[in-house]
Amino acid sequence: MLLPAAPALELVMIPYIELHARSAFSFLEGASVPEELIARCVEFDMPAMALLDRNGVYGAPRFHLSAKKNGVKAHIGAEINVQSPSSKVQRPLINSFSLPVLVRNRTGYQNLCRLITKMKLRVAKHAEPGAHVVTVSELQSHAEGLICLTGGSDGPVSFINADSAKQSTEWLIEIFGKENVYAELQRHFNRDEEARNQAVISLAKQYGLSLLATNGVNHATPLQREVSDVFTCIRNHVRLETAGRLLAQNSERHQKSGKAMCELFADVPDATANTLELSSRLEFTLEDLGYEFPKYSVPAGESMSSFLRKRTEEGARARYSGTNGAPTYEAARPQLERELALIEKLQLEGYFLIVWDIVQFCRREGILIQGRGSAANSAVCYALGITAVDPIGMQLLFERFLSEERGEWPDIDLDLPSGDQREKAIQYVYQRYGKLGAAMTANVITYRGRSAAREVGKALDFDDETLSRLAGLVHTWEWKDPKDSSERQFRDAGLDLCNPRIRKFFQLYQLVQDLPRHLGQHSGGMVICQGQLDSVVPLEPAAMPDRVVVQWDKEDCADMGLIKVDLLGLGMMAVLEDSIELIREAYKEEVDLAHLPQDDPAVYGALQKADTIGMFQVESRAQMSCLPRLRPQKFYDIVVQVAIIRPGPIVGNMVHPYLKRRQGREPVTYAHPLLEPVLGRTLGVPLFQEQLLKIAMICADFSGGEAEELRRAFGFKRSEARMKQIEVKLRRGLLRKGIVGKTQEEIVQAISSFALYGFPESHAASFALIAYASAYLKCNYLAAFTAAILNNQPMGFYQPFTLIKDAQRHGLKMLPVDVMKSDWLCTIESENGEEGKGRHGDGETGRQGDGAIKGSPCPPVPASPCLPVPVSPCPPVPASPCLPVPVSPCPPVSASPRLALRLGLKYVKGLSEQSGQAIVKARRCQSFTGIDDLHNRIPELRKDELRKLAAVGALNFIQTLAPTSKPERPRKDHRSSTNRRDALWQVERVARDGGELYEQLFENDGGSPLMPMTLPERMNADFRGTGLTIGKHPVAYHRSELNKLGAQRAIDISKLRNGTSVRVGGWVIVRQRPGTAKGFVFLTLEDETGVSNIIITPQLFDKNRLVLVDHPFLLIDGMLQNQDNVVSVKARRVQPLSFKVAAAPSHDFH
Amino acid sequence: MFACIYSPNSTAASLVEFAYAFSPMVEELSSDTIVLDVTGCELLFGSAYELANEISRCAKKPSPAGGLDTKISVALAANPDAAIHAAKNFEGITFISPGEELTCLGDLPLRALQYSLIHVDEKQAIEIFETLRLWGINSFRDFVTLPVAAMAERLGQNGVRLQQLASGKTERHLNLKQPAREFQAALELEHAVAELEPLSFIFARLLNQLCAALNAYALATNELLVQMTLDDQTTHERKLTLPYAMRDHRTFLKLLLLDTEMHPPATAVMAVSINCEPVKPRLLQNGLFIPLAPEPEKLELTLARITKLVGEANIGSPVLIDTHRPDAFLLKHFTVKAKHDFPTRRRRKANQQSAIPTSRDRQCLGFRMFRPALRAMVQAPQGIPQQVSAWDKYRSIHGKITNVAGPWRTTGDWWREDRWTRDEWDIEVEIRNGFDDARTRALYRIYRELAGGTWFVEGSYD
Repeated sequence: MLLPAAPALELVMIPYIELHARSAFSFLEGASVPEELIARCVEFDMPAMALLDRNGVYGAPRFHLSAKKNGVKAHIGAEINVQSPSSKVQRPLINSFSLPVLVRNRTGYQNLCRLITKMKLRVAKHAEPGAHVVTVSELQSHAEGLICLTGGSDGPVSFINADSAKQSTEWLIEIFGKENVYAELQRHFNRDEEARNQAVISLAKQYGLSLLATNGVNHATPLQREVSDVFTCIRNHVRLETAGRLLAQNSERHQKSGKAMCELFADVPDATANTLELSSRLEFTLEDLGYEFPKYSVPAGESMSSFLRKRTEEGARARYSGTNGAPTYEAARPQLERELALIEKLQLEGYFLIVWDIVQFCRREGILIQGRGSAANSAVCYALGITAVDPIGMQLLFERFLSEERGEWPDIDLDLPSGDQREKAIQYVYQRYGKLGAAMTANVITYRGRSAAREVGKALDFDDETLSRLAGLVHTWEWKDPKDSSERQFRDAGLDLCNPRIRKFFQLYQLVQDLPRHLGQHSGGMVICQGQLDSVVPLEPAAMPDRVVVQWDKEDCADMGLIKVDLLGLGMMAVLEDSIELIREAYKEEVDLAHLPQDDPAVYGALQKADTIGMFQVESRAQMSCLPRLRPQKFYDIVVQVAIIRPGPIVGNMVHPYLKRRQGREPVTYAHPLLEPVLGRTLGVPLFQEQLLKIAMICADFSGGEAEELRRAFGFKRSEARMKQIEVKLRRGLLRKGIVGKTQEEIVQAISSFALYGFPESHAASFALIAYASAYLKCNYLAAFTAAILNNQPMGFYQPFTLIKDAQRHGLKMLPVDVMKSDWLCTIESENGEEGKGRHGDGETGRQGDGAIKGSPCPPVPASPCLPVPVSPCPPVPASPCLPVPVSPCPPVSASPRLALRLGLKYVKGLSEQSGQAIVKARRCQSFTGIDDLHNRIPELRKDELRKLAAVGALNFIQTLAPTSKPERPRKDHRSSTNRRDALWQVERVARDGGELYEQLFENDGGSPLMPMTLPERMNADFRGTGLTIGKHPVAYHRSELNKLGAQRAIDISKLRNGTSVRVGGWVIVRQRPGTAKGFVFLTLEDETGVSNIIITPQLFDKNRLVLVDHPFLLIDGMLQNQDNVVSVKARRVQPLSFKVAAAPSHDFH
Repeated sequence: MFACIYSPNSTAASLVEFAYAFSPMVEELSSDTIVLDVTGCELLFGSAYELANEISRCAKKPSPAGGLDTKISVALAANPDAAIHAAKNFEGITFISPGEELTCLGDLPLRALQYSLIHVDEKQAIEIFETLRLWGINSFRDFVTLPVAAMAERLGQNGVRLQQLASGKTERHLNLKQPAREFQAALELEHAVAELEPLSFIFARLLNQLCAALNAYALATNELLVQMTLDDQTTHERKLTLPYAMRDHRTFLKLLLLDTEMHPPATAVMAVSINCEPVKPRLLQNGLFIPLAPEPEKLELTLARITKLVGEANIGSPVLIDTHRPDAFLLKHFTVKAKHDFPTRRRRKANQQSAIPTSRDRQCLGFRMFRPALRAMVQAPQGIPQQVSAWDKYRSIHGKITNVAGPWRTTGDWWREDRWTRDEWDIEVEIRNGFDDARTRALYRIYRELAGGTWFVEGSYD
């Protein structure tokens, strides 16, 4: 039987709208991003299009925005998996089908979001794909406002015989109503599909349904079918060679023009014509999202405005007290008033109150919290305690945060201590607004670099070795060599691009770049909604328990006008919080971060010497090389220091002019006198985004909002047209002010290049506060700070080993892990070991920095969970106008015991937290009397854990004091363990039940026949067991060899003259190749005296790549560079050193 | 007394053969290490030291002279394990007097301890070695000096056995190497044979011998490897792979003759050798009510005869390949399916219910495929075929296309060189009979290869 052929007719062109398309946001079921689909619409003059991603509206915001930009109407829908109504239709083998639905109005959209949310939240995140289904009853109760199509090959009327097809159709009509069910026809030049089409046409006639032509689009262009096939392989875990009929039969699921579709459906012209009719029925777009930020519930008789005003006034009166250089309330009032007026005008009171509420919660719970980012430009935020930087004192620009012209929600980022404390704050938001009222924003994970190479390579069936080589091509170095073309990379890896398979790999690798892979969770962004968030965007379970995420990522949420609050985890906040706790316990002092002395000479001394290992933001190699040149002397210098080592100033060549001017080697000049007030405090060099905004305001008469718009136009999402438009406006403004010619060019150039990378001053100031606090704690409470930073690893720039060695060089005594004394975390003890955990019998204690005892106990001050209160150390403002109240000086007490840091059980690799905590708990009840006792009382301790504890010396100090809990068994270790080998010998015995045979066996002398470990053996055991050692530095064991080789110590080279030839040897602790360093590689070499900085030229790196990347110990010959006390060695020759140590890895490739 | 030979440059087979020259009691420990029991060899080779020297001297000889053409390490000791440790760790000749094992082996690092000799599990051995490493025990001597009872208490019996192994005091029997059973028969001819008939007598004799050997071991074979050395010193090789294991020499002979007829040697044959791979014989018990299938031996013969007639590429059971590629199939050797290979009635029923509106389950037309497809000339002014013309020796198709359905498009294997892309059409052709001008209609499937634009007629519908 022949199927009816498409007659060759004179076609009357009927417009067509594609109403069934998937994007790559169907995650491995579509191969084009929404923007590509819209681009094809524009190419085909298609006035509208619908996006129906699988079980979600993940791609809807990008689809909507792109469509809006191109004048295309974006219809929204989804393909949802529906459980078979088995009571009505018999489907013995198939449990669900895919039902395409389109959103007609806002109710429909809300129903769709709720349906998807129900489907997703019912099962765990990593459930089988088939587990995500909507039940029939759910569909029935959420059908309003939705239009359904009968679907393609996986739809409800595809797999069934004639009777079941009828039943399915009747069922759809019953749920959605006849006028809302369309009989869908798809033609991909496939025999079976055409047979189904004929069946659908007859069903449509029988039930009076409208026909609808679609192309079931999977990709925008025919070429992307290859990507679609690769995705099919990835999804089904097969190779292209073995995928067989899982792959597409042809490339016809690409987006087709109206003309092509009309030709294809020439025999059923109604089917194409109906697409227009249906499109006109679909009123809904994402413009009509219906999102409302929740209202803050205020006491009776109050409005949100009045309540916000009262809270602001209360806070402002406390913070703008006029003391310690802070402005008076009266002085601050006009700015506050201006901000409040704008907040009320934009109806953002609820937003500010909700953020204030979160901050209040954190204060109540004793959780450190600080606002960062542009929120620090707002005096209201400062008054409400959301931020810690005084924008009035620091002359920060409010418009950078909020302006009427922006038409966007403001963005408040809150830094919290990472870990449990942050989770507490997140759970508070869930609890306050309900599981369906708040959710984390998503993070769309896309194919990039190695993941793309590996998965594409697997699909093409490359062997493991080739796969590794292909994945290895993707460099992790930040710096990209301009000569590093893909061809060269492939050639270097021994792969021939002339080979068709390799060529195909390369092509596919490029095609899949940036396509979505799966949905992750954003680190801290939370969306809150008035009413139910699940009616605005579908929610999904996150991988972490008790968390839900929205289907849109952070940018999409912002684009759709969803307000988000970022609750970001900051490791250093946790360190600060822990430090305060440790100081309270061990030093018996109360440190109030809000009232730290702002001019602590120890802090500035350390900063000027670049002695900053462990300090927030100023510990990196680049920062350390800048610090001795910048020589910070006041808080604002730290703000500059934080901001200056950034891509903006580096790429914009601002660093050297600023440093030269600061050192007085270059005069301070301004391109125009008008710039002087703006750039005065940065010595005529623009360093901050706010300065850029002010330049536009002063020199071109821009309003604050316009200036912010200018920044955004030139920022990351820059568009050529928009930039040109605003540049014209800028030049016109400059002209009006009489700024012409070269000066005008300079200003325009500065603005256009700086907007892209510039760093906001408010953000720098927020970070500088934390940087100062971390420096203060390190300089004054070294033991507490080191313990806290060790307890919060991994974080920062250095490995624990380096942090410990640095602390030891500063005089801190480190104590080993000991089951008799160590807690799970690192703790502080008095150095003589008599006191534990900061308990000091006589109440005396000492601060420790540089090994000296600095202070005595100070009267406790109520702790504030908020970071520093008023800080506005602006240089132009006379003498620290708002410095915090200094802490009462603590006179040195020479008699107080020095403090030492006891390593925690956490550092024993392989020891579970459960076992570690059990040890601590059992010990608190009663000390362990022997290894037998330890083993008997803690059943959680596995044999390998005991062995690990013994190997790192944690069992050395168990004293045998009393009989064990098993008196019937003869005791054998009737003397204390004195070394690790003794402990290891005993561990093996106690961990193995000898049975009755050995029950009566006594060891002759009770000791072990083993030799004690030598020092190098102990060092290796330390590194193997804990990743660090508190003993001698590994390089110290080889000092005599290094001396013979003529290598100098790190501490000695700083005394040499600039230009001297030197040889240094040490352990590589950091390797860096920054993107801004033109291919130079920076190594940090550590020995027993400190660190030396090595500069490797690109040529030397190319010649010695393997040695430099692989060898832990290096011997470097080179020329000493000592510029402004920044000491480094420019390497000429590199040799590996054959020292053996079970070393912890270095931090590489930052 | 035991001798261990360690030769990393030799093959296992040559090493074993070499060892048999000194003692029939040989244990093949690994591909490079063997142990010999040389007790009682003094009469042949003199003292133990002389024996070791002789082994070492012979090993240096070239292979044709019975040597290994390499330097080896030889160790003699009172127990095989001590000899193994010494041979593997010391170059040249090592002689360990009884009781002096630790003196010789004591300094060896612990990692040299061959725990597999006493069948200690690798995982356990690694754990024990890790413990010993932590204890600072680095050599055999260190290990041996540990008190046995304390050791047993801590490391268990495996620890004690390992300690004994390190002290060179283990006692065990050799796991003697049995010579491999070979099923081979060969004959060298005095005069070259150029005809099949005399060759058949030679085949028959050799196959008789082989089958008798297989019978003796109650084995059969499913693969025969025939090697014929030809007059021009070249070798003619044929491999007969059988679907079932057999040992009937008559069947083998017929199959071999048919194969030789199909693939005759290029010149006269000077020598014949037949090898076979022994396998367990096939045991089959048919049910009482199962229809009898042809005997496998007879079926194979019949298939071999057909193969001779039609060629190897044209016989077998077609198997569909999982691909969209049109007409993709491969030929598998024909075998009679066992009962359980047939789909059950229930399974078929389930399939019928699930796979539905596909062309298979609707009224289907039989389709006769032309192999190879007929190259055609097709007029398709607007992309739609209107006139077709194709012919070959057996058939000709000319006429106006009165009805058409399609195109059905398939493209695939885009990552390979042999990718395909084509449009198929089902056409109804009006064919005029040449004699009475009567018109008949026939249904065909035509396709166009999109890459080259060439048209073909693929087949006709019944």
